[in-house]
Formats: sequence, C-alpha cells, structure tokens
Amino acid sequence: MSTNKFHLNSIQGAGLGLRSSHYQEVFNTKPDIPWFELLSDNYMAEGGLPILRAEKIREDYPITLHGVGMSLGSADPLNMDYLARLKLLTQRLEPIYVSDHLAWVSINGNQTHDLLPFPYTEFTLNHIAERILQVQDFLGREILVENPSSYLGFHATHMSEWEFVSGITKLTDCNLLIDINNIYVSAFNHGFDPYEYLLAIPKDRVKEIHLAGYEKMDNYLFDTHGYQVHPPVWELYQAALERFGATPTLIEWDTDIPDFSTLRNEALKAEKLIKEVT
Amino acid sequence: MEHQTIQSLSELKQLQTAFYEAIFDPKDENIIQASTYIIGTAEINETKRLSIYRDSILGGITTALTHIYPVCVRLIGEKYFTHMVAGYLKKVPSTSPDIGNYGEHLPTYIADFKPARELIYLADVAQLEWLWHKAFNAADDDLFHQGIQPLSALQNIAEQDLPAIKFCAVNSANLIQSPYPIQRIWQVNQNDYQEANSVHLDEGGISLVIWRSADFGMRIDELNEDEIRFISAVLNGASFGDIAELEFTQALDDIVQRCIQTGLIIGFSDRALK
Repeated sequence: MSTNKFHLNSIQGAGLGLRSSHYQEVFNTKPDIPWFELLSDNYMAEGGLPILRAEKIREDYPITLHGVGMSLGSADPLNMDYLARLKLLTQRLEPIYVSDHLAWVSINGNQTHDLLPFPYTEFTLNHIAERILQVQDFLGREILVENPSSYLGFHATHMSEWEFVSGITKLTDCNLLIDINNIYVSAFNHGFDPYEYLLAIPKDRVKEIHLAGYEKMDNYLFDTHGYQVHPPVWELYQAALERFGATPTLIEWDTDIPDFSTLRNEALKAEKLIKEVT
Repeated sequence: MEHQTIQSLSELKQLQTAFYEAIFDPKDENIIQASTYIIGTAEINETKRLSIYRDSILGGITTALTHIYPVCVRLIGEKYFTHMVAGYLKKVPSTSPDIGNYGEHLPTYIADFKPARELIYLADVAQLEWLWHKAFNAADDDLFHQGIQPLSALQNIAEQDLPAIKFCAVNSANLIQSPYPIQRIWQVNQNDYQEANSVHLDEGGISLVIWRSADFGMRIDELNEDEIRFISAVLNGASFGDIAELEFTQALDDIVQRCIQTGLIIGFSDRALK
C-alpha cells in the first residue's frame, strides 16, 4: 500500500468489494489493495460497529460507495430520507465515487430490494435523467450510474440499452460505471452483441468498471456475483480497456464469498490487464 | 393485449405495480397482467422470466431475514423458515430501502402463524433476535448531542433536586419478558455453544435487557423484578422521583448503582431543573 497521503484521494488499478467477512483480515494484514468499494446500503444504520469499521478502512484506503437503493427507474418520487442518509454517509466516508444502478427497486412505497428492469423509451430516458440531476443536486456531487443485468425485455422498449446509457450521458453530467459481466449476461439473455454495446458507450464518461461471475442456468445466464470472472467476460473486459483506457476496476463477489486471497487473485488478474493498456 | 408504449409516469407506474404484484402475489390474474408487458421467447416464456425475478427477490429478502433470525432458522429448519417468510412477504410489504429494517413484524406474524403454534416460544425467541439486531444497529450514544449529563455531574445535583432528574439508558436498550426460557434457547442455538443443548420449558420465564455496550459488545442480561421495574421506568422517561414511588424489594440506590456499573445507565437529564 502506498504511504503517500494523496493516494487516498483518487482510485486506480483493481480494487475489491469489501464484505464484512473480510474486515478483520484487512485490519490485521493491511493488504496492498489500491482501493475498496463498500455497499452503501450496509452502512445506513444509525450507529454501531459497521460504520466504525468503514471509517477505519477509510483511514488507510480510498473507497467508493456503491448502492442499490436509489431506485432511479421508479415511478415513485425519490426517497429523500434514503438520500439524506446517503449524504451523511458520503460526508463521513468521503468516497471517491458514489454509484447506483439504472433500475427500479420500489413502487408505491414498497421495496423489492432488487434491481428491476424498465422499458427503454424517450419518456423513461427523460424521467431518469431528471432524477439523476435531482440526486446530484441533493448530494452536492456527481454520481456514477451502472448498467444492470436483466432477464426480460419489454414490448414498450424502443431503443437499445447502449442507446439509453448514451442518452443519459447526453442529458446529464453523471459518469458511468460499466459492469462488463452485466453486459455479457444481458447480451446472452437478450441476444445482442456485447462488443457493439461497448463501442457505443461514450468512453470519456466511464470512470469505473465492475467485474463479477455469473451462473449458467438451463437457458440463460444469472448474475449471482458468486463465481470467479468467466473467460468470455475477461475477453470483453480486455476490449473495454482497449476502448476506455486504464479504468479503475472492481471485483465484486456477493454470494458464497471465498477467502480473501481468492478475491485478491482476481484483482491481480485485472491489474495485469490494466497495466497492459497503461 | 400487449403494452407497446410507456410514455407517461402513470403508464410506468402501472407497469411497475403490475410487476410488483406478480412477484409478491403471484395469482394467475397478476401474472397474466404483468406478462402483457414482457417479451417472451420460445425458450423462456414471459412467466418464466417473471419467475427468475421472483426467485431472486424472495431469495434475497429471505437471506436477509435468515441473518437477522438465525436461531429461528435453526429451530424450525431452513425450508420451513423460507415457507414462513413467503407468507410474511405477502402480508407485510417492506417499506424501507434499508433491508435491515424489514422483519420487525416477523415475531408478531409468527405468533399468529398457525403451523408454528406447537413451538409456543418461537415468537418470543424471534422478538429477542429482532431486539439483538436493533441494538447492534442502534445509534451510538452521544451525551452532548442528546443533551444528557454525564454521571459524574450527579454530584452537582442538590439532594432535594434529585427527584426531578431522569436517568438515561443507552440508546440500544430494549426489554423483553417471556414466560419461556428464551435466553437459554438462544444460547444453546449459537454456533459456538459447546455444552448440553437441551432446554426444558419448565425452567420458567425470564426478563431480559438487550443492549450494546460502549465498546460495541452485545449484551443480553437477565434482570430481576426490581431491575426490570427500574429500567422499564427509565426507558419510559419517568423521573427519579416517580421511580422512587414504585415498589422495590431492594434498596433503589443499589439497583441504580448496579445499572450504572454495567454501563446500561449512562447519564441523566436535568431539564426539569432548568
């Protein structure tokens, strides 16, 4: 780990999604990981040990905050209580980036706690762009939005996901978190070309990349974040790096979480590929 | 009829409402309604695509509840717990983006849940686990911002003013009383418990305070009748004068001292004196 204090104010290289099972190891061994991403929704409680641990991590590492609760794609009004808590969290932890998804989570005030798809139309494009601007105004900072993985399409959809994502960057000044695994999973499930997707993304807006492992089901891919990154996703990642340049990349692993060294090896693989385009 | 456009907020709301209902109340008419929005294929039809999301959503929420209620899961088994949660999800929507807030009403649901009636203690064990979860995530104590005087300032209070003060407990403290030995049931079902794991219901009931100490240690402390009367009054905001009117078998000063020593009482409010 670098001892230069400036390293705490930016991120580069391959970081890890930090989960509670690995906190102790990180505290004890201070591993040479360039940055960590924390799930903001896990630190929304009023107090207690989790937020204290997060602050301790922040003393030694740059962090990013990644959430699932903004529900940007919902027809409900934005949940200002949630955003107020998120704002407090950003003030306490000073993350380099704050990100959430192009998805909806709640409707009529009821939560699904999952990232759900919506049709890509002119209306939803304007609706979500407006909400992103509202969120940014409230938080007093730009956010990154992430492309979701999905298992169904809508009759009402009139543009591709990459056109939608590009459209968002034209209507707002937010940046992008591109999840390569999600592109691969959705491409398989919907039958589009993932390379065409990558080529359509405005490259100067991509500030972070996510990598994770999917699960192969009978006739679709399921985004479990429970495996090592699969070979075709590494290939797509290489193409992404060639197009976007050396982009901070995160390894996500959320189910059947392995030991820390397995995660770290995944990050090292990404790090090697980043160096090749640097 | 297929829905070919979404051009307004009300149309988006209709779609999302239909989707939500097909997930949480998957009766035929709800599935059919949600399916009108979805493109199915020969390999995976609309219903199957919806069920991918249903499994993911219910699985995610069930996992979160499993982490909050590990002892209940152990007592009734994972399959049975999942089945029970499916009913709970249908009856009690989650209204907070923080999934950690969902599950508050599960103990009440269990109490009314007919198939679990034989496990008469289950609802109380669930309540204990909920209070444990609540204490773990409770706001940190901050005497200054809460307007609480530190205990060291007690010496500045004149004897005649003592009845007006209100003792303050840690934010995380909650009480539970049960006619069943729920603390023992909870203990023997911890992963690291080594001793004999049989508990007899005739061991009798118990009163507990569940709280988090200043060093973030989780505490489940048994209280005698005097202690529970005292802590209960403190948590209800009673003044020391009102508390002194209650009946105790031991000297009230001793009860107060004990609660101060454990760290459960952290200060006092002298607002009534100002």
